[in-house]
Parts: sequence; structure tokens; C-alpha cells
Amino acid sequence: MGCCYSSENETAEERKQLIPNPNPESKPLHGTDWSASNVPSARTDEQALLTSILTKTAQNIIDVSATDSQGMEQHEYMDKARQYSSKLAVLRNTLPQNKAHFLPSLTSQPHQVLASDLVPYSDVQQVSKIAAYAYSAISQIKVDAKEELVVQFAIP
Amino acid sequence: MTTAALTQGLERIPDQLGYLVISEEGVLASAGELENDEHTAGVIMQMVRTACRFRLQGAAEPPFKRISVMLEDFVYTVTVSGQKVFVVKRQNNQHAPVTV
Amino acid sequence: MEATLEQHLDETMKHPSIVGVLVTDQQGHNLGCRGSLSDEHGGVVSVLAKQAAGLSKDPTDSPTVCLESDTGNVLVRTHGSITVAVHKMAC
Repeated sequence: MGCCYSSENETAEERKQLIPNPNPESKPLHGTDWSASNVPSARTDEQALLTSILTKTAQNIIDVSATDSQGMEQHEYMDKARQYSSKLAVLRNTLPQNKAHFLPSLTSQPHQVLASDLVPYSDVQQVSKIAAYAYSAISQIKVDAKEELVVQFAIP
Repeated sequence: MTTAALTQGLERIPDQLGYLVISEEGVLASAGELENDEHTAGVIMQMVRTACRFRLQGAAEPPFKRISVMLEDFVYTVTVSGQKVFVVKRQNNQHAPVTV
Repeated sequence: MEATLEQHLDETMKHPSIVGVLVTDQQGHNLGCRGSLSDEHGGVVSVLAKQAAGLSKDPTDSPTVCLESDTGNVLVRTHGSITVAVHKMAC
């Protein structure tokens, strides 16, 4: 259907998995011995349901421990480390310094700005009052406990 | 700008009790009650960095020219110009509300 | 329970020159706001107030931080566990 039903054509491309199957058939999930032979011959509805849940979960899980890891030789590792450090050293020298400390200029007349009239005391008093009222209004908000939050399950 | 040029204007502010001029590297000049006051310089720098992130109505620049911290007896007035932070400690004697 | 605060914010906005008000807790979470001040300002407002408290040796001396411009000021003040910011236009 495309994103948000934007197109009528459903292509195979859209359905392609982003990560190629991480659990090839040959490798079972780590820790579970799940295979077809484990399904009991007496299939009840419940069993079928459980099996389908298990199947869905297995399809959605990416078991990292079961994937092949490409081992690196010691010298390959050292080479890579050296390569990265030299790249970093180059970048450190070429990037402009202190980019994060940039302070925007608020005025071109600092002396004038600093010498001008202060905020009137009446304004300060007004805000002080607004804050005091707000605080007392907030104090009225409190937890109204109606039931126990934690209950014990009756375990026989 | 020489340090003298920076501080001359500050010294002349009538009710000033002291001042600081701070850059990224540290305090460039200090005088009066703020002489060598590294603590205040540090706190003010923190506040300037915080305040400069304040924006109104999605504007690109901070919407103010000056930051004032009003305390009981005095006020710190702060502004930023040319990568330097200017702080002046001024007397705050307007305790009686003005009646018009 | 929050009706009192909401009412207080509405009353505050009735002042002719006040165009915004914001109340936050100590973590900067918005407890109520009106007009030009909103959620996005909570962080800066609460942190600014906290930093300003370090300027006075007297713990009872609560500072008022003002962000001043030609068109108006934003005043920030802490009371107990809350911080309030008021945006007031110049007359």
C-alpha cells in the first residue's frame, strides 16, 4: 500500500527485510532446543496457539549470540586502532576550536545597557506575589489515596 | 579593545559597587566588591550560558539585552558584547514602591 | 485540585501588561502556563533560578532574575518548590 496508503501497488521491495535473516535455519536459538520434533503429537488448540506465539516470537527476535562473529587478528586490530587515532588527530587540528562556547552578543553598547534604569521594584514585588500565590495554589494539589497501591497475590 | 577601554565605562556607572569583565579564558578585569570574585564570575557565566538558550516565539536570537539578578540590597546587571561578559554590581535602593 | 492554580494563572493574565506566565517545579516540568511562555521555557527558567540562588550568601534572600529588552521583561522568581516566570511588556 505504500506509506500511509499513498500508493496502490504493493511491491516486493517494501516487504524485504532490512536485516537479512539473522537466524539461518541451521542455528537453533541459544538456550532453546526448539525444533519441529519437540511438538507433541497430541495437538490441542492451546498447544497450537502456544506454538504460533513461539513461532512469531522467534521470527521477531534477533539472537545476537547465535550470529557468526568475525574474529579479528591481533595485528588487524592494532592497525585499525592506529588508523583511527591518526584520523582523529588530523580532525582535532582542523576543526575550529571552542565551537560549543560561542556566546551570542546581546548588545554593541555594553556600558550603556548596564547603566540604564533597573527593573522597577513594583514589578519585582508583583512577580513575588504571583509566585507566592502560585505556591499556595500548588500546595492544594496532593495525592488522594483511595486504595492500596500494592496488593499481595493470594498464592496458595 | 584594551582592558582600560572596557572598564572605563563601567567605572563611571553612578551607583556601581564593583564590576567584572569575563571572557571564555577567565576574568579579564575586576574591581570594587567584585574584585577577584571568581565564584560570582563562575555563577554568572553559567547563568549567561543558560539564559542565552531562552527563545521567544521561535526567534533565532535571545530576546533580551541585559540580565539582572535583583537581590535584597543590590543588583547584578549582566550583558554580553564581543565574546565578553560584563557584570556590574549596583546599589538597589528602590525599596519603597513608586506611587504615581 | 489544580483549579486554584489555573484560576490564579487566568487572574494573572488579566493584568494589561502581562502577556505570559509559567509555573514549573524544580525539575523544570510545566505545572501551568499562559500566553507567550510555555513548556519549552520550563527548563531554562528553573535552571536559571537555581543558578541565581548561588549568588547570595543569605539563603532567605530569594533573587529575581530579569531578562530585559526594550519591548519587555521576563521576570523569574522561585517560591518554595516552584519557580514562576512572568513576561511583562513595557508600557
